[in-house]
Amino acid sequence: MTKFLFLGLLRDKQKSLFPIIIVSVGVVLTTWLYSWMLGVFNEVIEGNARFNNGHLKVTTIAYNEISSQIPNDLCLTEVDKLLETLRAEHKEYEWTPRIKFGGMIDVPDETGETRAQAPIIGFAADLRSEFSKENERLQISKALVKGKFPSQSNEIVISDVLADNLEINIGDVATLIGVSANGGMAIHNFVVSGTVQFGMTALDRGALIADIGDVQYAMDMENAAGEILGFLKNGMFNEELATSNKEIFNKNHSDAGDEFSPLMVTLLDQEGLGDYLIYAKSAGGIIVSIFVFAMSIVLWNTGLMSGIRRYGEVGVRLAMGETKGHIYKSMLVESVLIGLVGSFIGSMIGVAVSFYFQEYGIDISSTFKNSTLMVNDVIRAKVTAGSYYIGFIPGVLAMLFGTAISGIGIFRRQTATLFKELEV
Amino acid sequence: MTASELIVTKKLTKQYPIGGNFFTALREVDLCIDQCEFTGIVGPSGSGKTTLLNIIGALDAPTNGNAKVLGSEIGKMNHVEAAKLRNQYLGFIFQTYNLLPVYNVFENVEFPLLLQHIESSKRVDMVNKALEWVGLSEKAKSKPAQLSGGESQRVAIARAIVKQPKIVLADEPTANLDAQNSHHILKTMVTLNEELGTTFVFSTHDEKVISYLRRKIKLSDGEIVDDTIVN
Ligand SMILES: Nc1ncnc2c1ncn2[C@@H]1O[C@H](COP(=O)(O)OP(=O)(O)O)[C@@H](O)[C@H]1O
Ligand SMILES: [Mg+2]
Repeated sequence: MTKFLFLGLLRDKQKSLFPIIIVSVGVVLTTWLYSWMLGVFNEVIEGNARFNNGHLKVTTIAYNEISSQIPNDLCLTEVDKLLETLRAEHKEYEWTPRIKFGGMIDVPDETGETRAQAPIIGFAADLRSEFSKENERLQISKALVKGKFPSQSNEIVISDVLADNLEINIGDVATLIGVSANGGMAIHNFVVSGTVQFGMTALDRGALIADIGDVQYAMDMENAAGEILGFLKNGMFNEELATSNKEIFNKNHSDAGDEFSPLMVTLLDQEGLGDYLIYAKSAGGIIVSIFVFAMSIVLWNTGLMSGIRRYGEVGVRLAMGETKGHIYKSMLVESVLIGLVGSFIGSMIGVAVSFYFQEYGIDISSTFKNSTLMVNDVIRAKVTAGSYYIGFIPGVLAMLFGTAISGIGIFRRQTATLFKELEV
Repeated sequence: MTASELIVTKKLTKQYPIGGNFFTALREVDLCIDQCEFTGIVGPSGSGKTTLLNIIGALDAPTNGNAKVLGSEIGKMNHVEAAKLRNQYLGFIFQTYNLLPVYNVFENVEFPLLLQHIESSKRVDMVNKALEWVGLSEKAKSKPAQLSGGESQRVAIARAIVKQPKIVLADEPTANLDAQNSHHILKTMVTLNEELGTTFVFSTHDEKVISYLRRKIKLSDGEIVDDTIVN
């Protein structure tokens, strides 16, 4: 009997092929959308990691408490030793020192008098070590509007908007006026080697990037740094790995009684990013749910249509002496089968499409013509374990619900009425 | 009710709700059909023939009075018992054949046997025999779409008869057939009635069918107005 019904299902393209195609299409879209949303959220997280937080960050306990004030007087000292320790004990991560600083930029005229002045926020990173990946992370070369990468001593890049406002040209001297780590005034002459577009308003209004060696010298921070960032060597942010590394480091090296001892925090511990991730996940969940719901209606409709189409068949089977319960059950089993097959096909295609978009992404830079944003201009999907099964939810459930609901019609009707529908 | 009485109705009444009112399709029908009969319920369209056959076939329940088929009272059966009665003892033939289009002739005829959980080798024998009765052995592998109307109805007869039911209910079986095919299938059914002892109950207003009947029960506006045995 089962074999008989299964054969019928296979042969009846209206009953099998078409619903499978519809389920598959819905599942492809669901899978892709899901992977895409994950990719976008991920990009926000990774962008934040590259500019500000790393996957892991080491500061002093005191610095961490008021890190938004950029308290460089509370910076890490003996950074070379600390870096050695980190590189030895936390090998999955690449470790690099950074200094954030605030101050004024002052542009002198030929006579040395101030021509223009503006407040700035500065990023100091390791731009000149042989194996440094900071250029990639901060995407300086890519975001250059004018000039070149600051490869020479005391060279910096500044935001293009700021350069325009201050009428700075490539090769001009710009003087940083800031506060040194021990509270004194720090004055240092830099040469502007290029301008960049950050793609973030706050930074485009006034930011500069300098080499950390120059800034350490300028700010009296020899062998010191505000922060040491850790980036997972192969891959994106991994919450579990980051948390376990954090716990190990803090157990071995952090001393709650000494506010100058180092403290490791993860990306999620900082600036509400953990909240963002939770929000992003639930927003993603809501969007996917809405999509799943819409798909379910389409698929339910398919189930409904095929259910109504089958009243004739149901009438014959009843006349042959099959019970309503048995017919209903066999319809449900068929719908689950179709849902599973359609979801499987759809998930495979959906995951393949998502992998493609994970690999190649969509280049949004052409959307913002002529812009050289520092944020990634390629948005990628992200395939996770969830990508493989998310589509089964609408695929199987919608088919099942649709059939269940249309099947109730068969139960509700008087047998004789069903029968009437056999008559032409 | 004696052992040979297969179908007995007493004051069988069927009303359909229409608006806030009732339409009486059958009015106090008293009827008794014995084993081996070849009987027709005859009457114009709307006289209640299908309603009567549906109740006898346990597809519908009486409003008043009762109908007993093979000793079981139709009005007191649940779905499962009614299905069992149809499965074991009743065969149906419809005006529009109602073959399942995705199955071939053999499989269509095999279907009622699958419901009875009859084992495979026995099924093959029974289906082949049924196809022989209706003269369609060569068409066993054909799909319904490839058959003529007459052939389709013969497949439907084979399907109704394959499990050798006590009663075959045929609702206007010739309505869609030409004269030649009508005579052909009627002859087939007469033979089956004689050889297997199957009771046939028709609903019809087709003169060709009427000419084969051995008993004519005339229905008019839901009432039996005449009941004649033909010699
Ligand atoms: N489900 C129903 N609801 C209301 N009226 C019905 C229903 N089924 C049949 N009838 C009415 O009952 C009468 C008898 O119908 P039916 O038994 O189909 O007649 P026949 O088969 O002799 O043409 C008709 O007038 C028909 O309109
Ligand atoms: Mg009728």
